[in-house]
Amino acid sequence: MLNPSFWTLLRSPVPWIVLAVAVSAPLWMSPFYMSIAILTLFYVGFAMAWNIVGGISGLLSLGHSIFVGTGAILTSALFLNLGINMWLGVVIACVISALVGAVISWLDYRFRLGHLSFALITLAFAEVFLLVVLGTDFLGGASGLILPNDTGNFLQFEFGGGRGYFYLSLSLAVFALLVNLLIINSPLGYFLRCIRDNEDAAQAIGIDLLRCKMVSMAISGALSALVGAAYGRYMVFIDPYLFAGLNLTIEVVLVATIGGLGTPFGPLVATLLLIPFGEVIRGHLGGVLPGLHTFIYGALIVIVILAMPRGLVPTAQDWWQRRRRRGEAAQEKPELQRGLKPPTPMED
Amino acid sequence: MLEVSGLTAGFGTLDILHDVSLTVASGEFVGLLGANNAGKSTLVNCLSGLVPARRGTIRLDGEDISGMPPHRIVERGIVQVPEGRLVFPQMSVLDNLKVGSSTRRSQLGRTSKLEEVFALFPRLHERMEQPAGTLSGGEQQMLAIGRGLLSNPRLLMLDEPSLGLSPLFVQTIFRAIKALNTSGLTILLVEQNLNLTLSCASRSLVLERGKIVIEGTADELRQDPQTRRAYLGL
Repeated sequence: MLNPSFWTLLRSPVPWIVLAVAVSAPLWMSPFYMSIAILTLFYVGFAMAWNIVGGISGLLSLGHSIFVGTGAILTSALFLNLGINMWLGVVIACVISALVGAVISWLDYRFRLGHLSFALITLAFAEVFLLVVLGTDFLGGASGLILPNDTGNFLQFEFGGGRGYFYLSLSLAVFALLVNLLIINSPLGYFLRCIRDNEDAAQAIGIDLLRCKMVSMAISGALSALVGAAYGRYMVFIDPYLFAGLNLTIEVVLVATIGGLGTPFGPLVATLLLIPFGEVIRGHLGGVLPGLHTFIYGALIVIVILAMPRGLVPTAQDWWQRRRRRGEAAQEKPELQRGLKPPTPMED
Repeated sequence: MLEVSGLTAGFGTLDILHDVSLTVASGEFVGLLGANNAGKSTLVNCLSGLVPARRGTIRLDGEDISGMPPHRIVERGIVQVPEGRLVFPQMSVLDNLKVGSSTRRSQLGRTSKLEEVFALFPRLHERMEQPAGTLSGGEQQMLAIGRGLLSNPRLLMLDEPSLGLSPLFVQTIFRAIKALNTSGLTILLVEQNLNLTLSCASRSLVLERGKIVIEGTADELRQDPQTRRAYLGL
């Protein structure tokens, strides 16, 4: 049932080379850059999870902090308060996130929310979620939760130092990307694209709107929770404003949009470029003039959006195709001239 | 095959269809005529389950399908080719056709259905890899019909397939619809083009302000002075 392009991609050497280089990174990267790489890879995971809903299905969800927060906060709270193993906690958080995602999709379907209403409803849910977290002692309240020191005990959802978390975040990022590619090349992905292009037409030809939306939101929610839990364990201090606040979602949505929605490669490339860029200029300029790095980062984003409204990757694809076509045209020209006979003067 | 009785439907507080009753027999070619705003598209959308019925029943082979979600209705064999074609512009022609077979029932015979559609519209085969948005209006209409056929319909409802097409394409499309009917497919054709519909359909209905006012064969309708009046909406 899968589209053959999925297997072509797997057979191509490019992803494997990239992966090999990534796997070897801890050997040559300094700790400062390693921490940036880990952060970036977690963001890739978030962006890929969000892309299932925001990119493939075209539903602008601003409520993904619910899922990220559930993953990080609930897993930690269950462990700290009830002693539930974090692996089990992750499973619980993923199931709950999937259910919450399905319910949000059901609301979207039942009340026929448009794009704007969907964005606002998810935003409202995210606000409510943050307030619930802040007001619930079990979830750490406003002061957050602190996980015990990481001793590298894998069975306790501990991954050791930077290298462990690098490989954890790398495998999560690759897993999330694979999930995206699997969905895109499966019938579900085609149905979701139909829904994104035209909901009425999709319904008219017999696509089950509710089921497709619920499944995509559930997968996206569970994946966000999974990455959220891992990110939480990495950060040790579970800050409610970081995990349940809106900033993380907004940043993911922003970066994904800059990359270009539609394929997972837009959000992927943009995350790989922008998150390290933001971190590096913060590292180098943060001490020079506070706020300067945010200003540069913001200005750059504005410029990219103005210059390439469709996003980085689609624009680059267009440019590449145009260049190639021009190259082909240039090659054809001499042949065309050779085929033409030189005009001979008329004889009378 | 299809029995509609006392169907009332509309949007918000406004009723568009009032007490509409009609039957379509298996293998028939029924035309549904009417001026703008007569409620033709609402009727088709109601039969598809896109617009809920307020009162009345829609029966397909005795089974009540009113209130069923659209995909269940498509699964049972009622498929519409929506007005304005509504193809998915960024998807290739082939993918557009493939998503037409979204139901489990239609996925089994997909390859043979695809061949059938390409035999009916060779143009689609030529443009298989192209994004649907780059097709001309007529080609998009062919694609929309092909997409409908891929869900393996028993009753194909076409909503204004001639809309915005050049006369040449209108002929091609109508010849194809006629051929589909000859091969056994039941057709419900919604049109504004009176003569074209009467020349194809074995029986026609005229809808006026949400009510069926005339029903009969082409000759009966041509002779009925009411047709012109209803049609012009006077």
